[in-house]
Amino acid sequence: MKELTRLSKMFAEQLHWGALAKATIATALLGVTIILGSRNLANFDAALIGYTFASLFAAFGIVYRYSVWLTKPPTRMYWRRGWQLFLSPRLWKNLRSPRILAEAVVRKIVVQDFVWHRSPERWAGHMLIAAGCVLAALVTFPLVFGWVHFTQGAITPEPTYIIQVFGFGVREIALHGLESWFTFHALIVASVLVIPGVMIVMYRRMLDTGAVAVQRFSRDFLPLILLFAVAFTGLLLWVSYEFLEGYFYTALAQLHAWTVIGTLIYLPFGKLFHIFQRPATLGIAYYKSHLSELEPACCPLTGEEYAPAVQTKDLTEVLHELDFDYSAVGGPPETPPWNEISPAGKRMLIGRAHSKIRNDRFD
Amino acid sequence: MTVVFKEFFIDFQRCIGCEACAAGCAECHTHRGYPMVQVDKVDPAMSPQTSPMVCMHCKVPTCALSCPADAIKVDENGIVHSSLKPRCIACRNCELACPFGVPMIREDIQQMQKCDMCFDRTAAGKKPMCCTVCPTGALHYNTMENMLAARPHSKPINKWQFGNQIVETRLWVMVPHDVDIMVVDWPELLAGAAGPIELAVKLKERFPLQGFPGPQPTRDEPVPVGAGVGSFSDTEAEYL
Amino acid sequence: MARPSMSVDDYVEKYGPHISDLPVTGWNSKPEPDALVETHCCFCGMQCGIKLAVKDNKVIGFEPWEEFPFNEGRLCPKGVKRYMQTHHPDRILDPLIRTETGFRKASWDEALDLVVSKIRAIQEKSGKHAFGMMSGVSLSNEKSYLVGKFARLALQTRNLDYNGRFCMVSAGGGNKKAFGIDRAANTWSDIPLASVVFLAGTNVSECFPTLTHYIWQARDRGAKLIVVDPRVTPIARTADYHLQIRPGTDSALNQALLHELIRNDWVDHDFVTQHCKGWEELKASVEKCTPEWAAEICGITPIIIREVAAVWGPAKTSFLMHARGVEQQIKGVENVLSLINLVLTTGRIGRPGCGYGTITGQGNGQGGREHGHKCDQLPGNRDIENPEHRAYICKVWGIDDSELPHKGLTAVEMFEAIHEGEIKGLLNICCNPLVSHPDTNYLRETLEGMEFFCVIDFFMSETARYADVVLPGSLHEEEEGTATSAEARICRLRAAISPPGNARRDTDILLEIARRLGREKYFPYSEPHEIFEELRVASKGGTADYYGVTYERIEKEMGVFWPCPEIGHPGTPRLFEDKKSYQPDGLFHMHVTAYRPSFEVPDDEYPLYYTTGRSVFHYLSGTQTRRIKFLVDNFPGPVCEMHPKLAAKMGLKHRQLVTVETRRGAISIPLDVTETIRPDTVFVPYHWAEKLAANQLTVRALDPVSKMPEFKVAACRVRPATPEESVRLRKDYAALKQEADA
Repeated sequence: MKELTRLSKMFAEQLHWGALAKATIATALLGVTIILGSRNLANFDAALIGYTFASLFAAFGIVYRYSVWLTKPPTRMYWRRGWQLFLSPRLWKNLRSPRILAEAVVRKIVVQDFVWHRSPERWAGHMLIAAGCVLAALVTFPLVFGWVHFTQGAITPEPTYIIQVFGFGVREIALHGLESWFTFHALIVASVLVIPGVMIVMYRRMLDTGAVAVQRFSRDFLPLILLFAVAFTGLLLWVSYEFLEGYFYTALAQLHAWTVIGTLIYLPFGKLFHIFQRPATLGIAYYKSHLSELEPACCPLTGEEYAPAVQTKDLTEVLHELDFDYSAVGGPPETPPWNEISPAGKRMLIGRAHSKIRNDRFD
Repeated sequence: MTVVFKEFFIDFQRCIGCEACAAGCAECHTHRGYPMVQVDKVDPAMSPQTSPMVCMHCKVPTCALSCPADAIKVDENGIVHSSLKPRCIACRNCELACPFGVPMIREDIQQMQKCDMCFDRTAAGKKPMCCTVCPTGALHYNTMENMLAARPHSKPINKWQFGNQIVETRLWVMVPHDVDIMVVDWPELLAGAAGPIELAVKLKERFPLQGFPGPQPTRDEPVPVGAGVGSFSDTEAEYL
Repeated sequence: MARPSMSVDDYVEKYGPHISDLPVTGWNSKPEPDALVETHCCFCGMQCGIKLAVKDNKVIGFEPWEEFPFNEGRLCPKGVKRYMQTHHPDRILDPLIRTETGFRKASWDEALDLVVSKIRAIQEKSGKHAFGMMSGVSLSNEKSYLVGKFARLALQTRNLDYNGRFCMVSAGGGNKKAFGIDRAANTWSDIPLASVVFLAGTNVSECFPTLTHYIWQARDRGAKLIVVDPRVTPIARTADYHLQIRPGTDSALNQALLHELIRNDWVDHDFVTQHCKGWEELKASVEKCTPEWAAEICGITPIIIREVAAVWGPAKTSFLMHARGVEQQIKGVENVLSLINLVLTTGRIGRPGCGYGTITGQGNGQGGREHGHKCDQLPGNRDIENPEHRAYICKVWGIDDSELPHKGLTAVEMFEAIHEGEIKGLLNICCNPLVSHPDTNYLRETLEGMEFFCVIDFFMSETARYADVVLPGSLHEEEEGTATSAEARICRLRAAISPPGNARRDTDILLEIARRLGREKYFPYSEPHEIFEELRVASKGGTADYYGVTYERIEKEMGVFWPCPEIGHPGTPRLFEDKKSYQPDGLFHMHVTAYRPSFEVPDDEYPLYYTTGRSVFHYLSGTQTRRIKFLVDNFPGPVCEMHPKLAAKMGLKHRQLVTVETRRGAISIPLDVTETIRPDTVFVPYHWAEKLAANQLTVRALDPVSKMPEFKVAACRVRPATPEESVRLRKDYAALKQEADA
């Protein structure tokens, strides 16, 4: 909650008009898509209106935050460089660009091998949650927005349903087949993925001394509790209508709705925002795999090639935009700024600077 | 129970390069086997001097501001933390921007890790591990009052100057009483160093008495007679 | 014949040293420990307090022990990483018997039967003393005492000696001659009170890192620091006065300093006349020892000698410490005495802030040299040739004087006797002479020629490769006991866990051999504390009197300082407070220490000084520390330190592979060109074995009193390594970093 108040205060103080405009446009566009996609709300389920408004709010928040984020000098630099490199004709000539992209998508987004290296159980937990959330999102949003609905197809000899997307029938499926079972139970499957995922992650957070040391409730537990609540109440709904003849169904439906709405509203603020931020890693992959072919920056002290020169020069520009001035005083003009000395070189020079102020005398 | 965070002092002159700080640091559960303290030989050809570096916890952290992913956070105790795992994209900006050369990028887990003043220990009222094990007191965690009483010959300061940039830090460095700011004037200190030749030459012309190799030794001893007998040529040299 | 039956590479492959950096629990899920066991670090004479984290009979990590008064949690990297030795994959878990193709695992019964039958066979054929025993002072007090008694009563041999012969004996010899007692005169807590700190031949910052804090505490109060060392060590770098003398010239320097003290009348006349013996002779002996005379010998300027004398002389308080630099010479005892003379002349001893001490190197270098571990010694630091001392110990042990052997051979002499075939069998515990003995090529021949050789060790040390039987023993953390630190503080070592696999506690192994030799009636113990109870009684009345010390007291008081002759006696942190020495006459004895050259000095053929020492990342022969990855990464193997002027003159480059040669052997290692060493001297650290052993080059010459070999001075020459030597060196270096299978 502290995080929330802090953030809302920040919002009020530094309302970002450009981002506000972008967020408003994005929200309006989503609204229009909902109306068009549901055939003027003909296919819109009025019972899901709460979800719709929460989604619109989330869209606004996410776009706003993303836009603000992109205005930060380092982010802007990477954003620009990422696209530049992605579109660079040189990289398209030999199809390097799509290959870099494909590799990054597979490793960083789909397989997430870096989470595996943190620990296999983290990876298992994160993959379960991620898979469950993606599945749930793919089902929920089109249904909520009225983009997808089902109509009855044939009654005999095999009863079928027709899936309607944006009001167009796209597929007819058998009522008692595997495909229909999966279609109508996709959210159940999602919750069955998310719940063990949350359990694994929670278990780790409670026992792992390293995690216990640095975690915070609002940052690390709140999103887990929200995800668990959504998945668990959703599962209860299913239990209620499938096995208990709708026992307590209305109250459960309300409860589930609130948990989902709460989570949607939380999306732009907390940890879950990383879902939208994370694809930036693709731009970095570009930057890195491309820059490894470029001229390296050479440390003026140690002589080591410690980074791509483009990155260190970009950084000098970014630091300047951030009002840092690490340029040298008293040397010839080509003396590099402090940030263009390798980390090891900086540490050695700090040691020497210390000896110098002590005049090599000690006590 | 509110824990009072004390002050962290670095007294560079006491460092003996034993790496006990790094060895102890590696034991921490938050970064398992990887030390966050870095001990560097300052000028191994000249002197056994070493320099221990932990995060200085800048009041306006260059690392956090240069992070494109907004992943580096400062807490209410002034501690700058390792990057948040969900956000960090391991771009290396922080590593290259930090004026003290502290952050470390771990490509395998796509995260920047750095000294967080042993948040797990300090938040529980203990000393950071490096300060506990440091055999000389080069890294020291105490109240300002106790430190001033214990080391009257030095004075703690927390201002650094890198060229035009002034950096204020949460950590203190012990310096002589007549020093108010740690000036790192690298153009002088770099003179004669191993980098680009033209620059090194120019710097050496400008600062003939500074930089590498360091101050000339005061003793001037003859090499023993006979030691140079059969002085060897380059062609015989083999390296590891 | 004790020849290794595999190649060195095969031994390394099979038994290590491999490096490991994995806690027994792995890195990912360190569990909460069941217990934090308060004990001490095993890696030097400081005996820093440390808590070992234990879970399910495994040492999983450590916590600093901040309440322990000496180190308050401070540790060096060896102490921090020490827990990684406990469950190291290289641990020997079964008794091993040598075969034609290496070793085979054996049962304890089989191995012990073999050991006992061999002991019997050799002793029946060649006499009791033809079987010897070598030991070491990384053992606890209890084990040291037990070894002393075991050798004399179970093996019934006079030939028992220990690795302190390579370490502490010159200090002990000097201390006994001057003070009649062998221990530091003060606790370290007197260092911060001193206004001058004098370090002679001690690389405190690398060998005793936690002691550095005490020196800085003194400097924080304005103390001046004087360091005598041929190298700019990390502590010497910051010293106010660094006397960078030639190796082996310490006593000349000290005589010149004394000359200056007398000339300027910086002498405590009351003290030297009333409480000392030999002042007039001493005074006369240094009359001609001017700073100019010493400067010529030592290779420094006379000015700095005068400056140092002017700092040392008029000081109100001071603390002088020395270590192996001055002691490991054929003049070790003389060097020590010449330093003691500087202390006695100024009368600055036995008062707060006025101190003197040798800095013991090995884990229990102090306690282990007090209770009958040495060839000439009985418990309580008694003399094995003194009839009264013998009578007392005979009474405690319940034997007749005829059953107690007399003085035996010292370590180097014993190996020489083995080499000559006079001693035919050896039981070796806690000692790795193939690294630590001077002239290791000679030692290798010695081991190869032995009829029967048994080694008790926790890892396959390089020496153990030559054994007929290797018995898997225990680590410091696997047995209860006590150790005495360099400031004479008796500390409690606690067993954190029991030995792994079929390994046994060292005590149990010795007791079992004694039983099988039919001597169990002299060893009625089952637990170490019972040995300590006997040790207390046996030490009673000796100079190293532990009678008033109990485990309970040590635990409660966090250490007791001996002498502690009665129950309830507070212990003796500071000696000589009554201005009386432990000599029969109560006087402090001053000895004339005329300068004489080292056994071997540079000449035309071998024009450079060769000296050896330690690195902060390794402990002694490296059996433990060469297996811990963090330590190996920081200091993988030996290098030859050389001054850039000398390197330039010889046309040698930094990191070039060179071969250093003396009259005894050669070592090929990388060159480390650095300003931190004298231009006429090269330095090689000694922690490695075989072709990387610095001691291949050292001389077997001994100090006439202490029988300490001269590790610190030899004459050498340096040349580029040949291509063959380079190939070998690269291979040896690579082997140092061979990782263990997790």
